[in-house]
Amino acid sequence: MNALRTASIADHFAALGVDEPLLAAALAAATVHGADQAELYVQHSTSTSLGLSDRAVNRVHTSVDLGVGVRVVVGDQVGFAWTEDLSQEAVLTAARTAAEIARGLGRDPGAVEIPRLSDGLDIYPLSRSWSDVALDERLPLVRAWEQAAFDRDGRVRKVQVSLSDGEKRLLIARADGLRVADVRPMTSAWVGCTIEDDQGRKETGSYNVSGRTDLSYYTADRQQRLVEQAVDRAILALDAGDAPAGELPVVMAAGSSGILLHEAIGHGLEADFNRKGTSIFADKMGTAIASPEVTLIDDATLPGARGSLNIDDEGNPTQRTVLVQDGVLSSYLHDGISARHYGVAPTGSGRRQSFRHPVLPRMRATYMEAGPHDPAAIIASVKKGLYCEHFANGQVQIGGGDFAFYVKHGYLIEDGKLTRPVKDVNLVGNGPKVLGTIDMVGNDLAIDEGGWTCGKEGQSVPVSQGMPTVRVASLSVGGGR
Amino acid sequence: MNATDPTTQPLLDLAGDVVRQATQRGADEVSVHVAQSTSTTIQRRDGQVEEASRSSGKKLSLTLLVDDRWSSHSTSDLRPAALASFLDTAVAATRLLEPDPARRLPPAEECGRGASEADLQHLDPAWAGLTAEDRGHAAEAMEAAVERVRQDDTVSATTWFADGHARSVEVTSHGFADHTTSAWFATGGAITLSDEGGRRPEGYSSYATRYRTDLPSLDRIATEADRRAREAIGSGPVDSGRYTLLLPGRLAGRMLGMLMGPMSGGSIHHGRSVLADQLGARIGSDLLHVVDDPTIPRGLGSTPWDDDLRVARPRVVIERGVLREHYLGTYYARKLDRPATTSSASNWVLPVGDRSPEALAAEHPKAIRVSGFLGGNANGLTGDFSFGIRGTLLEDGQPVKQLSEMNVSGNLLTLFHRLVALGDDPWTYSSLRAPTMVFEDLAFSGT
Repeated sequence: MNALRTASIADHFAALGVDEPLLAAALAAATVHGADQAELYVQHSTSTSLGLSDRAVNRVHTSVDLGVGVRVVVGDQVGFAWTEDLSQEAVLTAARTAAEIARGLGRDPGAVEIPRLSDGLDIYPLSRSWSDVALDERLPLVRAWEQAAFDRDGRVRKVQVSLSDGEKRLLIARADGLRVADVRPMTSAWVGCTIEDDQGRKETGSYNVSGRTDLSYYTADRQQRLVEQAVDRAILALDAGDAPAGELPVVMAAGSSGILLHEAIGHGLEADFNRKGTSIFADKMGTAIASPEVTLIDDATLPGARGSLNIDDEGNPTQRTVLVQDGVLSSYLHDGISARHYGVAPTGSGRRQSFRHPVLPRMRATYMEAGPHDPAAIIASVKKGLYCEHFANGQVQIGGGDFAFYVKHGYLIEDGKLTRPVKDVNLVGNGPKVLGTIDMVGNDLAIDEGGWTCGKEGQSVPVSQGMPTVRVASLSVGGGR
Repeated sequence: MNATDPTTQPLLDLAGDVVRQATQRGADEVSVHVAQSTSTTIQRRDGQVEEASRSSGKKLSLTLLVDDRWSSHSTSDLRPAALASFLDTAVAATRLLEPDPARRLPPAEECGRGASEADLQHLDPAWAGLTAEDRGHAAEAMEAAVERVRQDDTVSATTWFADGHARSVEVTSHGFADHTTSAWFATGGAITLSDEGGRRPEGYSSYATRYRTDLPSLDRIATEADRRAREAIGSGPVDSGRYTLLLPGRLAGRMLGMLMGPMSGGSIHHGRSVLADQLGARIGSDLLHVVDDPTIPRGLGSTPWDDDLRVARPRVVIERGVLREHYLGTYYARKLDRPATTSSASNWVLPVGDRSPEALAAEHPKAIRVSGFLGGNANGLTGDFSFGIRGTLLEDGQPVKQLSEMNVSGNLLTLFHRLVALGDDPWTYSSLRAPTMVFEDLAFSGT
C-alpha cells in the first residue's frame, strides 16, 4: 500500500513541528518503563458554523483545534496526557507523564519499532475539502432553506438555520511502528421553526442532517427534506396530544428508532463495561440475549455515514461488526485493551472525542438487519399501542439494563390503525427484557440521516443508527399528565 | 482590575495583542478570552490505578464586530503566524455576514467586577502544594473507603480523585481587562453489585468543590455509593397513578433546570419559551423563591462578571412563586427592546425548610422518593415534560418497594404550584442549592 494519505498528513504535521524524529523520541519517552501499547494522537481540526436568525445570516463561528494526546497502556492500566503546545519540550513532557503509569512495574523499556506507513479505508465521499469552500458558497444554501420554510406554511413565524462543517486531520503514531492518518470531514445542517395558528397555539419543529462528506451532500432532495420535515413536525406537534401512561405494545418506525438499540443493548456491548463486569451482558457471550428475529450490527463502513470511520482512534482498521446474530450474542465492541483482555482481534471500535480524551470502545453506526414483515402489517397487528416515529434523546443504566428514550412525536395505534398524534413522552424499559419481546421485524431497514451524538464518560462522538419497523411487546410509556 | 501575577500577565499580553491585531484588520469591537488550565485525574479499580491522566491546555476565543457584523472564533493554535492568519480569515468571514448591531458590546460603564477574587475564594491555596504523591494517596484513600463498605455481592468498585487549576483573562477593545484564577477538587466512587437475573445494580457518589477541605468525608461518599446501588436491587415498576414526589436537593436541578431554558432571552426572542408571557405572574407556590447569587464564596456558579462582562450581582429571579426576571443579556435585551438583566444563571439558591426529609416523607401516606433520573426531556414552548425515574415507594415514610422502569410527567406551568414543602437539608455541592423538595399529585407511569 502506498499510504499516500498518511504520508501527506505526516508532512502536514511535520510542517507544524511534529516530525518523525519527534514522534520517535516521544514514543521512546512514553515506553521508557515498558508498555503493552503506546501511541501519539496528533490532531488538527478546523470548522465553520454559519447561523441565520431574524431573517439574516448574522453569525459565523470558526474554530481551530490543535494538539497531541499521548497514551501508554500496561495491561488494563492507562497513562494519558495531552497538550495543545506542539513544541518538542511540551510533547516530550506529555510522553513522560503518560509513561508514569508503568513506573515500578518492573517491565523492560519498550522497543520503538521502525515506522511503517499505512492507510485505512476510504469511505468518506470527499471530492472537495471544506477548507476550499468559500463562505459565500454556503450563504445561498442557508438563505434558501429559510425562505423555503416560510413558503412551506403560512403559520411559520420564526425560522432559524445553521450549517456547520469541518475536517479533522489526525496522525496516529504507535510504538509498534504503525503510522496511520485520516482526514475526517463532517457536515451538519439544522432548520428549526416556530409556528402559530389563528387560535394562538404555538409549537416548534426542527430537523437536522449530518454526514462525513462534502458540499455535494446537500442534494435538492435532501435540502427539501430538511426544510419540509422541520415545518411538518411543528405542524404535527400542534395537533398532537398527551400519550397514555403505563405499559403498552410499541411499534418503532424505521430509521431513527435505532435509538432503542443504541440504548437498550449497544452501550451494554461496549467491551470495557464487560471486562469490568459492570454490564448486564457480561458473561453472556454465545448465549441468546434477544429474540431470534434480532440481528444487530455496528458498522463503521457505511459510506458517508456520520458514525463511519476509515480507521479507529487507535489506528486499527474498522469493520462491520455483527454483535448479535439471530438473537445470540456474538461480539462485543473492542478497543485494544479489551481485545487483549478477551484474546480477540480489535473490532476497530476504539474512539475518542479528541486528543484531549483517552480511547474508549464506542458504537459507530448501529442498526438491526431487516426482517420479513411488511411494516403496514406490523402496525395492523397491534390492537392498542403506541407508534414511535421521531426521537430526541436516550440514556441507559449499563448494569441494571434499564434504558429510556424520549419520543418527540408518534401516534396512538387503535385497532391496527394510526389514529391520534402524541408528543413529548419518555419511554423506559429493561434491555434484555425488551430485546426478548421483539417479535416482528420489518423489511424496511433505514439508516437515519440525523446528527446523532453519543455521550460516554464525558466524551461526545458522532454516531449513526438505523432500524427497520419493529414491534415490541411492552414498554412503559410516560404520558398521562 | 485585580493585581496580576507573573503567570497571568503573559495571558493578558496575548489577549491585548489579539485585540490590537483584530482592530488593525478592521474590527470595530473585539472581546478576547484566554484560558490556561491543567487537571489531573487518578482513577482506581480493584486495587490498582486504572487510569492516570494529566492535561495542560491554553485556548483563545474572541468575538468580533466588523461594520456591525458579528462573529465568534476559537483556536488552540497560538503560534504567532497561525494566529495572524486565523484573524485574517475571521475578519474576512465576518464582512460577508448581514449586520446585527444589537451585538455591540455593552456600555463600558456597565462592565466590571462584582465580587473580588478574595471574596469569591475560588483558589484554594492548598492546590499549589499538591504533589503527585498527595494525589496518589488521595485516590488510595477513596478506594480504601469504598473497600470498607464492600460486600460479597460487589462485582466492581471504581474510585477517583481529580483536581484542576484554571487561569483566564478577558480583554476588550473598550477597555476591559481582568482575570480570574480558580481551582477545583473532585472525588467519588461507583459500585456495581450482582443481582438476580444477571442484573448488576450500580450506584455512585461524586462531589466537586473549590476547596479541598470542603469535600465530604470519604466514608460518607462510599456509603452513599453502596446504598444507591443496593436501592436498585430487586427494583421494578408499580401501578401508574398520582403520587407525592420527594426530590432530594442533589437532584433538584432536573426540575428547576427546566425553568432556566424558557427564562433565557434566546428562547423568548425565538418564540420557544413557555415563560415568555409570565413575567410578574405566579408560576409556583410561595415556596418557589429563587435568588440568583453569583457572589457566594466558593460557589461553583459564582462569577465576578456575566457572559457580557457586566458586573455580576445577586438578583431575585422568582419571588415567592412570582416570576420576576428573564435572563436577558445585552444582545437579547436589545432585540426585545427591554432592559438587560443578566445573561444566564449563576448559583440558584432556594430557601430551606424546618423539617427533615424523613419527617416530610412521614406526612404522606404514599410517596415516591426519587434517587435518580433516566432520560427524558421537556418541551420549552409548551412546558410538557416526561422523565424516567428510579427510587423508592414510601408509605407513611417507610420504604415498601424499590422502583425502576417508571416515568414522571407533567407541565412546567403547574409543577411548581404543587411544591408543598422544603426540607432542612440544603445541597451545597452544586451551583443549584436546593433542599429536598416535596411535590404533591404528580403523574407517575409504571405498569
